[in-house]
Amino acid sequence: MAIEKIKLPVSVSVVILFALILVLLQLMSSATQASSELSAIYSWLLLINILGSVILLALVGANIYSLVRELKKREAGSRLTTRMVSLFVVLSLVPAAVVFYFSMQFLHQGIDSWFNVEIDRAMEDALELSQASLNQRMRWNLKQTQQLADKLRDAPESTIALEMENLRENSDASEITLFSRQAHIIASSSSSPGDILPSWPDEQGWLQVRQNAEFVTMAPMRDGGLMIRSMVLVGGDEPRYLQALYRVPVRITDLADSVEFAFARYQEMHFLRDSLKLSFSLALSLVLLMSLLAAIWVAFISIRNIIAPVRQLVRGTQAVAAGQYGQQLPVMAQDDLGFLVESFNQMSQRISFARDETRRAGLEVENQRAYLETILANLTAGVISFDTENRIKTSNQAAFRIFHIPVSRFIGQTLPEIAQSHPELIEPLKVIQRFLEQTDDIWQHRLAFLGLNGRQELLCRGTPLFSQDGLRVGAVVVFDDVTDLIQAQKNAAWGEVARRLAHEIKNPLTPIQLSAERLRHKLANKLETADVDILQRSTQTIVQQVEAMKEMVDDFSEYAKPAKKQSVDIDPALLVQEVLTLYTMQAGVRFKLSQDSGLLNINGDPVSLRQVLHNLIKNAIEAVEGRGQIDINLHRVQKNNADFIEIGFYDDGPGIREDHLEKIFEPYVTTKAKGTGLGLAIVKKIIEEHGGAIWVDLNRKTGAGFIIQLPAV
Amino acid sequence: MHALSSNKLSLGMPALLLWLLPLAAMAVEVKHAELVPVNGKYLFSADLDYQLSDRAVAALQSGVPLFWDIKVLVSQYRSYLWNKEIAGRDIRFRIQYKALLNLFQVRNESSSNTYSFSTLGAALNLMSTLRNIYVVDAAALADDENYFAAVKVKLDRDALPLPLRPAAYTNSQWYLASDWYEWPLKK
Repeated sequence: MAIEKIKLPVSVSVVILFALILVLLQLMSSATQASSELSAIYSWLLLINILGSVILLALVGANIYSLVRELKKREAGSRLTTRMVSLFVVLSLVPAAVVFYFSMQFLHQGIDSWFNVEIDRAMEDALELSQASLNQRMRWNLKQTQQLADKLRDAPESTIALEMENLRENSDASEITLFSRQAHIIASSSSSPGDILPSWPDEQGWLQVRQNAEFVTMAPMRDGGLMIRSMVLVGGDEPRYLQALYRVPVRITDLADSVEFAFARYQEMHFLRDSLKLSFSLALSLVLLMSLLAAIWVAFISIRNIIAPVRQLVRGTQAVAAGQYGQQLPVMAQDDLGFLVESFNQMSQRISFARDETRRAGLEVENQRAYLETILANLTAGVISFDTENRIKTSNQAAFRIFHIPVSRFIGQTLPEIAQSHPELIEPLKVIQRFLEQTDDIWQHRLAFLGLNGRQELLCRGTPLFSQDGLRVGAVVVFDDVTDLIQAQKNAAWGEVARRLAHEIKNPLTPIQLSAERLRHKLANKLETADVDILQRSTQTIVQQVEAMKEMVDDFSEYAKPAKKQSVDIDPALLVQEVLTLYTMQAGVRFKLSQDSGLLNINGDPVSLRQVLHNLIKNAIEAVEGRGQIDINLHRVQKNNADFIEIGFYDDGPGIREDHLEKIFEPYVTTKAKGTGLGLAIVKKIIEEHGGAIWVDLNRKTGAGFIIQLPAV
Repeated sequence: MHALSSNKLSLGMPALLLWLLPLAAMAVEVKHAELVPVNGKYLFSADLDYQLSDRAVAALQSGVPLFWDIKVLVSQYRSYLWNKEIAGRDIRFRIQYKALLNLFQVRNESSSNTYSFSTLGAALNLMSTLRNIYVVDAAALADDENYFAAVKVKLDRDALPLPLRPAAYTNSQWYLASDWYEWPLKK
């Protein structure tokens, strides 16, 4: 709308400008007519026209300057404007220049054709003829005056006035005057009675008449006619001078005037020849210059108006290209360009819709991804995805928990690269890597390794990922820490074994023992000494073995029973000291207890926990074979925002063999000649039932080290 | 004439500017001028010297009439404001060559008197000698104020034939004028 408002005044002002230019030029053209009243303001018109040209030139210059600047800035539409303006200028300039050139030629030739030698000569001849004719008349009049003088010469002084009147009336003279030698008027006679004073000859006349005794001249009169003044010496005793004035007949005066006027006009034109050419050329040039400049200026305005939608379109397109969709341009006209602008608006709107749609879809996908990621992160199973080069792409929190390394920091690296900095993971990572490289199918594998916190058992499942066109784009590996699960299964199995043993084995043991004792009791008196001895030893063996079996079965049933029978708050330091007092008397073994100040309590069954301590201390004493040092450390540690009490047992014995490490906490694993192999299994069972953990401290280089962690309260 | 023909359109803006500048060499010189009170009237007398340029003489001999304006001004000195113009008198002469009679005619446009001379010098002499021309009544001037008179002579270029004018405005040959000649007025 705003543009519509501006557009009208521009077109109106253009019309006004053109009208003004035309009026000015017309005025100047009229002013060149010499008779015109406008000729008085010719100089002003010329100045105004020149000023107008200068203003137009400045306008065009300003437009060109701004166009050049736009071109340099590579602004939208500037090149098209330049091309159109150049085309217009060339198209208008060439014909105008041709017309101008030929007009100038015609003008100059036309002016030159006014003048030629024949007319020159004719004019001069005519003037000469007129002059000759007038000269003849003058000579004739002089002759007449001479005759009058002759007649006066002898006239007496007294009648001279009358005589002169007479003579004048009989001659063509309009006035005759007689002067004395001293130039005093003696007598005068005039045809017009109004003239009181006779006409007086000028100095030159007196000079000539005194020198030559005669003098004739012609002078214009005030009424426009011509007058011949003749003067002669009147001979006699006293020299006197007679002046006679003759009027040239009106007809002859008119003819002479006509000739003179024509000659003068011709001479003037001849003189003005170049000035004429100059002024006509100037006028023509001004007309051309102003018209051209005005046309170019208007062309600039019009072309800018035409280009405006194109310019907007270009800007709009640039904006769309830069990602600003939904641009709406004002439709200024209902023409082709307007249609183009409308189409652009529609296109832009559609792109905007599509962009919004895509954005929404992207947002949804992102939400989905975030949702999945949250799920993945909260899975207990570790998930690691790989790209085609088997580099880690993503990993979840559980992977960190299972491997005890921040896998997400190794994104972009391969598994062997991680293994280099984490030697404890070499084995499992090597296995996974091998599967990743070799298998293009879903695979599943259980792998066990010794992690930082002891033996770990993982269930890994790998799935290769394929793109829609069937290309392999990577793989995802899901793994579960099944250590606890397997342990629980084993524990359950052992518990069942123990229960069966108690049930199936312990029951027959008592009759066996009783029967053996009864055999000894009944047969001892009846047998011979040698046989009695055999009986005694045999039944003794049976009873002893049955006793041993009973103990074993009790141990098993102990193992199978829940350890946490009651739940009280216990000071761990106090508990450790209490147990240790029982062993301080042991010769050859030094105990060293170190503990943090401000330890927290633990919650559990004191009997079971005491058994744990007994078992571990006993193991240590056995390991050092009665002489050596046993260190017990109590610390408070924080793990996963929870407080734990860590109790470390270290001895300086021979240590644990590597092949035993994996199964040291399982029942029936022992290095000792005596023992059921249930000690550490029970320890582990009790600790786990208290929500704690026990593992072998692998960092310990000499002897063996066990670490217990129990939740603090 | 030839000098001009080569100029033509090339005389443009620079020449226009040149024309606007005052020129050092004056074509008319005011040799002497006076304003004398006679019987309660101030009468102007002056002796001028015309130095016509070649172009002007050529134009005159080709029958182009030249008009000369002689401007006489009487002004009052004012210390606090610009000077106040009290009275003025314009004298206008027209000089033209008559080919038929081989005469130079001088016409006083103010008095309509025409004088004919056989030589240009004599004609210019008439225009040079100005005597006892009434300018202002003595009564118009206050006794206690200071006055000065000024005179300037110049060729009226606007009265030249039209085709000659563009050239006349841009050519110093046609800038025929005197400076302002000023003198204090005696009472």
